[in-house]
Amino acid sequence: MKWWPMIGISKVLTENKKYATKTDVKRMKIFKRSLHIYTIDVGNSNILNFEMRALQTPKYNVHRFGMYFAASPRHADLLIVLGKPTKKMIAPLLEMVNQIPEPFGVMLLKGCESSGIDPDELKIPNVVTSVNGCLDPSEILAILLKISGRID
Amino acid sequence: MIYIYFSFIFFALGVLTTFYRKVSYIMATIGSAFPFLAAVAGMHTSFTSNVFVLFNGFNLSVGVDHTSAIFLLIASISWFTISLYSIDYGMNYSKKMPVFFNAALFGMFLVLIARDALTFISGWEIATVFSYLLIMEHKHSFKEAFEFLAFGEISTVSLLVAFASLYLENHSLAIVGSHGNWIFLLMATIAFMAKMGIYPLHTWLIGAHSRAPSNVSAFLSAPLTLMGVYGLVRVLSIAGQPEWWGVLAMIFGGFSAFWGALQAAAAKGLKILPAYSTVENNGMILATLGLSVVAYSANLAVLSSFAMITTLILLFAHNTTKSLLFMAVGHAKEALGEDTIDNVRGVWTAVGKIPAISILISGLSFSAFPPLIGFLGEWMTLEALFQSYKFPSILDRLSAVFAGILIALAMGLAAFSMVKLTGYTALGYDHGKKARTIPSFTMRLSEIILSLIVVLTGFFSPYMLKYFGYGTFLSGLFGVPKPFLIVSSHPVFGVVSPTFLTIVIGTLFLFPLAFYLQKLRKVKRVSAWNGGIALKEKEYFTAPAYSFTLEYIMRKVYSMKEIKVGNKRYVSVKDVTTLFYSGLKRATEIVAKFLSLTLMNGHIYSYVLYTMIMFILLFFLIK
Amino acid sequence: MKKLLGAYRQNGEEHLILQENGKVFVQEGNASEFENSVLLESRNEYVKDVLSKEEISGNDIFDFRYGPVTSGIGEAGIFHLYTYGERILSVKIDTSYKRRGLDERMINSDINDALKLSEEICGNFAISHSTAFSRAVENALKIKVTRDVELLRSIALELERIYNHLYVISRLAQAASQQVLASHLMGLFEDSLVTNKIFSDSRYLMNFNAIGDVLKIPSRKELKDVSDRVKKIENIFSKLYENSMSSGNYIDRLHLTATLDAKEAELIGLTGPSLRACGVKEDLRAYDEMYPEIEITSDEEGDSLSRMEVRAGEIFESLKFVRKTIDDLNLADETTSPNSIGSGEGIGWCESPSGTIVYHVEIENSKIKDVYVSTPSVFGMSAIAHSIVGNIFTDFPFVVESFGVNFSDAAR
Repeated sequence: MKWWPMIGISKVLTENKKYATKTDVKRMKIFKRSLHIYTIDVGNSNILNFEMRALQTPKYNVHRFGMYFAASPRHADLLIVLGKPTKKMIAPLLEMVNQIPEPFGVMLLKGCESSGIDPDELKIPNVVTSVNGCLDPSEILAILLKISGRID
Repeated sequence: MIYIYFSFIFFALGVLTTFYRKVSYIMATIGSAFPFLAAVAGMHTSFTSNVFVLFNGFNLSVGVDHTSAIFLLIASISWFTISLYSIDYGMNYSKKMPVFFNAALFGMFLVLIARDALTFISGWEIATVFSYLLIMEHKHSFKEAFEFLAFGEISTVSLLVAFASLYLENHSLAIVGSHGNWIFLLMATIAFMAKMGIYPLHTWLIGAHSRAPSNVSAFLSAPLTLMGVYGLVRVLSIAGQPEWWGVLAMIFGGFSAFWGALQAAAAKGLKILPAYSTVENNGMILATLGLSVVAYSANLAVLSSFAMITTLILLFAHNTTKSLLFMAVGHAKEALGEDTIDNVRGVWTAVGKIPAISILISGLSFSAFPPLIGFLGEWMTLEALFQSYKFPSILDRLSAVFAGILIALAMGLAAFSMVKLTGYTALGYDHGKKARTIPSFTMRLSEIILSLIVVLTGFFSPYMLKYFGYGTFLSGLFGVPKPFLIVSSHPVFGVVSPTFLTIVIGTLFLFPLAFYLQKLRKVKRVSAWNGGIALKEKEYFTAPAYSFTLEYIMRKVYSMKEIKVGNKRYVSVKDVTTLFYSGLKRATEIVAKFLSLTLMNGHIYSYVLYTMIMFILLFFLIK
Repeated sequence: MKKLLGAYRQNGEEHLILQENGKVFVQEGNASEFENSVLLESRNEYVKDVLSKEEISGNDIFDFRYGPVTSGIGEAGIFHLYTYGERILSVKIDTSYKRRGLDERMINSDINDALKLSEEICGNFAISHSTAFSRAVENALKIKVTRDVELLRSIALELERIYNHLYVISRLAQAASQQVLASHLMGLFEDSLVTNKIFSDSRYLMNFNAIGDVLKIPSRKELKDVSDRVKKIENIFSKLYENSMSSGNYIDRLHLTATLDAKEAELIGLTGPSLRACGVKEDLRAYDEMYPEIEITSDEEGDSLSRMEVRAGEIFESLKFVRKTIDDLNLADETTSPNSIGSGEGIGWCESPSGTIVYHVEIENSKIKDVYVSTPSVFGMSAIAHSIVGNIFTDFPFVVESFGVNFSDAAR
């Protein structure tokens, strides 16, 4: 017999300490066990797109936290806005926010680029957090865990 | 009998008042209400008029017996609603049209009440010729109308041969209570099959139905093809019910159903799709009739009579539903002035809710959605075919299985094509189009009447079976009280109860619906998700694209080709039977040209004169 | 055969940036003599198939718009697929949604700020863009770059190539529903990003380059770590690749999908692995002194499978190069910071993971007076639009992913 279940349980018990963040977020505890995420590129330099793909790699295994990447905004609980919008992407972004079923949250990852319009100025409803700079996947995961109320 | 005379009078009045189109169509409407009464009267006690002796052996009479009463009942529903529909719809067409319309109704009526071959043929010919003139009412439809007439005359000529052989055998032209041989049966069958649009004699139907004015399409598709079925039933009662006929009918019917459904799935034209659906439905009707005949010859009386009532229910379903579909689609077509499925999107918002619901109901009925009447028809068809294991002969069983496979495929394809039709037209997005306003009160009225008939006859179908005289197939089982359960055999083989199905489904969905309606205010309503920006009209998935995958998979059958000409790209799909006829046409042209150059190079008038003189001479000589 | 990669005007004369036999050069001439000159004018708005001149039409044809927000592409851009159902007849790619105007913003900015902007054009080609840009500036200002810096840049370039190619292959595997392979490859992709971080302090090799210099010189320990990790990636990847090539239904999805022949590819102006997959052995690295032993990978068929195979071959080449270079590396302790003040004009290029990136800059008193950027994704997208014709919707991800193009790269 292998001890996988014990390893799994120990991981669950210890991972709270592994991921930590100081970012201010508004918690959405109803998504603690199931958080469906949709990402939208609004004109970043592709780094954040790649980081979101990296977050889906087996190394982070986000499914164990009940996090899934939805294929349509209609299935999503949390919208992650990647980058600062170009002029042409503002309308699709707002339409997208309009499409998500309630309750929902919007997370703004502004990235480290200089171009684009600051998404904070767009008055998007239900923004749970707004983060500057290029984060790596473990930092993004920590913020997601904080949003879903799994870590403090 | 009085109803029949009244009906004649009103049809005649309709012809006379043709310059007041509305009045004329109202006359037709009233005129076609009387056949319904005649049918109700004739359902229990048959009656006949006085015999009018033309000369010895040529006795003319009309009357209604049980068989013609059932057909008259079914047909008169269509006549009545189509005439009602025409009161407003007919205003879009010329003042000649009411004459043809009334005359064609009269012709069909005559066919159904004829007691002798001469009256039958007269009615047949009147209906054909005036239908031809009706199709001609639409601009640029000469070719299609002529094709209709050609096939109509093939049908009439075969019928003449058949009745000639009947006369030789019986020395009388009565079509009730006489006896016929196989030549009579074969020729008559060809005649009626041409009228029903059975494969391979269906090509006329597509062009004629799609080009004709919509009330005429409804009229051609529903009651006129019903004449073919009536003829077959009549002829079978004269000629006995030979097994070979049943086997052939099953094979032709099954294949026709499959072919019609297949072509309907690929159809692009708004009225071509229902036209092919007619081919499919008539195929099913012929197959069940064949099954009934085979069962009869194998002494399976219960199965035979079940297959017969299946035929009647299918006929009823097709007649009412197809009239409804053509009317609703024609309403949309006339209002929007377009004739492909793609361009008639958004009937619900652009044209009106009633035509949209009508298209939806008829589409659901054709795709066998319970508890509509179409569902009952298709359930009974399959149920009858399943019982073919009772046949003693292996050939019968195999042909029934063959027909069964094709019909099952046809039913699936029919659902596919009806989703295409209703999904794009009735429920599609209108792109901000607005239909022109046309006077449509009676159009709406007749659509409502037929929709109600389609829904309610499904619900009360046990009573219909009882009324047609097949009460033996009603029972009570599994807690369903008598007579709401329809059984397919004795001892019980399969059961269904559309009535209770409705009640159960209604209850199951009523609570969720109430729950949903209560919550409705909280629901967030947004437009469809399309990648973040609104869809333009050119970005919508088109109807041909919907069926392209099917066309590609069956590209050998459709002879599908993806054509590139210059910068044009399109998909060409053919009904390969038309190739046969166009080949035949070309061959005829070549032969005719050859003959006219070599053999018959005189003036055309001399030939006409010769033909006339010979005809008159023969007429006197034979007398 | 000369391939047109870009054109700029100087003193009223048209200058063409051309590539032939692995060499990039500038020539005076007329761009409209080349088939793909349309691309240079329209690339800020849209990219089309340059080889078919006529617009297709037909009653049943509709525009299947894929974008600007989809989970399939993942970037803000639109694929307009013209079709009568399933069969793709023509494609127009809308790049305007991701246009940030970075090359316009470079003008009148300081050289070092412009270097930052060049990295921002496409994050996953950051080092390629910044290398091409700094080479152009170095060329213009006649700055001599030390061999150590060139070697470190080459290592960074190859690390970038490795993770980009791993990403492309894993996307192809994902599109073919080879989830196990795709997950393993994504794991390797993440590993290589971590390697980048050890090498340059940035997962995407940003802020590594400087004009005539590199901003970070990795320590011995870090280089050893990088070398070990590269070795590990090589071991795992070679096994995965071998196994994947024996999977019939994976290969079958890629084989003969979106075939392109060498002539068409060169007319479009395609460079990089996609061109080498058509049988053209052309690589800018072949003439680079830093790559003495480079073997150019190429393939004959020009389909998605060939492109995947060429990329896999290049991963092996790059892994080998990184290990060998790190082993031979003997860094001087100090580098001299070059003086980047002056005026001049120059051109710089670089073999990015998807093809040639060229910068042409004009500098006046340490400020950029004019800049022209030629990016490989523009030509890659045109090649997609050309080769996808006749394929069906389900082949779409294989075509798009196999060319390894980015909207951010094309739109700038």
